[in-house]
Amino acid sequence: MDRYARHRAIAGFSQEELQASRVAVIGAGAIGNEVVKNLCLLGVGAIDILDFDTVELHNLTRSVLLREADVGRSKAASVARRAARLDPAVAVTGIDGDLWETLTFERLRRYRCVIGALDNFEARLRLNLLCWLAGIDWINAAIDSRYVTVETFPFGSASVGSDPVPVACYECGLPGSVYQKIAERYSCGGLQRAALARRIMPTTAITASIAGAQAVNHALRLPRAARRWIFDSHSGLATQANLSRSPACPCCSTHPPAAAMGRPAAGEATATAIDAAARAAGADTIRLSDGLIWSCECANCGSTDATRAVELQRAAAVSDGITFCLQCRSQAIRVQIRDEFEPGELSARFPPDAAIPARFAIVGNGCIDLQSPATERPDATMTTTEHLT
Amino acid sequence: MNDRKLVLRTADQSRRADIDFDHSSTGSEIIQAAVDNWSLPADMDYTLVNTTTGQVLNPSQPLEQQAREGDVLEVQPVLVAG
Repeated sequence: MDRYARHRAIAGFSQEELQASRVAVIGAGAIGNEVVKNLCLLGVGAIDILDFDTVELHNLTRSVLLREADVGRSKAASVARRAARLDPAVAVTGIDGDLWETLTFERLRRYRCVIGALDNFEARLRLNLLCWLAGIDWINAAIDSRYVTVETFPFGSASVGSDPVPVACYECGLPGSVYQKIAERYSCGGLQRAALARRIMPTTAITASIAGAQAVNHALRLPRAARRWIFDSHSGLATQANLSRSPACPCCSTHPPAAAMGRPAAGEATATAIDAAARAAGADTIRLSDGLIWSCECANCGSTDATRAVELQRAAAVSDGITFCLQCRSQAIRVQIRDEFEPGELSARFPPDAAIPARFAIVGNGCIDLQSPATERPDATMTTTEHLT
Repeated sequence: MNDRKLVLRTADQSRRADIDFDHSSTGSEIIQAAVDNWSLPADMDYTLVNTTTGQVLNPSQPLEQQAREGDVLEVQPVLVAG
C-alpha cells in the first residue's frame, strides 16, 4: 500500500519532487507547529525547525505537537521529536538557536523555501534580509486572535535563468510605526534597553491552524510576485494584494540581491580578510550587518575596565546599563556605535585572527558571510526510534 | 487642490466611509485618520491596500500615484504574533 496514494491522485502533484526537497521552518510556536505538521503529512523530504525558546505551559493551547512533558524543554527539539512520528520517511531536525547566528548562507541555500512563523518584527526583518541576500524564497505567516496574514517573497523563484528578478521584500510594505516600535527596544542607536516588557499578543489555535495551512499551501505553489493574503476568521472575508518594491526600502534598496553575492569562503571572517576584500573590490566602504561599539568611555573617568570590556562588541548584545559609570556613579558613559568603515579601519582595531562579531559584511556589490559554515552547530535529526517521554 | 473621492473600509468591513482626499495626501495620513475617526486600536500597526487594483500602497507616497477616483481602500492590520 502506498502511503501517498491520495497525493499521487492529484493532477500535477509530484510526490517525488516533494520528497527531494528540504524546507526550513523558523519558529516552533503556534504557526510553526501547524506548518511542521502539514509538511510532515505531505511527505516533504526534510524539515529543519529552528527556535531558541523553551516550551511554556501557555503554548499548549495552540501548539498541536507539544505536550505537558515538553514544558521547559527546547521548542525546536520537542516539535521535531513529535513530528518525526507522523512520517518516518521525513527527516525532521530541531535546531536550538537564534536565526541570526544559526542560519548561515550555506545552510539557507539547501532549502527549497523558508517558512517564517516568528513572533516579532525584528526577527522577520532579519530573516527577510538573509533570504534576500541568499536569493531564497520565503513565506511569512502571522496571526492575532482574529486575523491571519500569509505573505510570499519569491526571491529565488522569480528568476529568469540565473538572473534574479527583484521582487518586493517584507520591508517594502512595512509602515514607519513598526520601526518606531523596534527603536523603543533600543537606546543610543543600538544598545538593548535593560528593562522593556514585550507586549503579549492574543492568538488562538484557530488562526494558527489557518495560517499553517495557507503558509504550506503557498510554499507548494509559490507565486512569481510578492503577495499578501489576509483573512478575517470572524467574517470569513479574505483579501489578496500584490506588494510593490519601495525605492526607499531599508532592505532591498540598500543590499545586493542574490546574484551580486559571492559565495562565502572559510577564513574570510577576520578584519584583515574583509579589508583585503574591500581593497580588491575597489570599495571605499565596508558595511557590517551589526553595529559595533567602536568607542566607549566615561566623560568624567575616561576609559575604564568596564568601558574597555564592551568595545568592539556587537551593540545589540549589550545592555544600555553600560551608560552608567560605576566609578563616578553617573550616567556619563559616551558610546559610539558604528556599522560603516573605511578599508583598514577594522584591521587597525581587531587582532589579525579575531572574528568580527557581525553576521555579514557588505563590500561593494558583494557580501561576505562572517558566520562560517564551520561554526554551524551539530543538529540532531529526530527519528521515530527516539524515546518520547 | 484637486480632491478625489475614495471608499475607505476596515479589513473586517464593519467600517466604511466615502472620503475626499487631497492629491498630496499619503497612505499614512489616511491610516491615521481611520485610526482616529474609527477608534481603531492605536497600539496596532496598519497598512493600506487598494482592493480595486489589488496593490498594497506605499504609505509614504502620495495617494494620487496609487489610487483613482472611486477606488476602494482597505485598512489592514500588520500582524506580528506567530
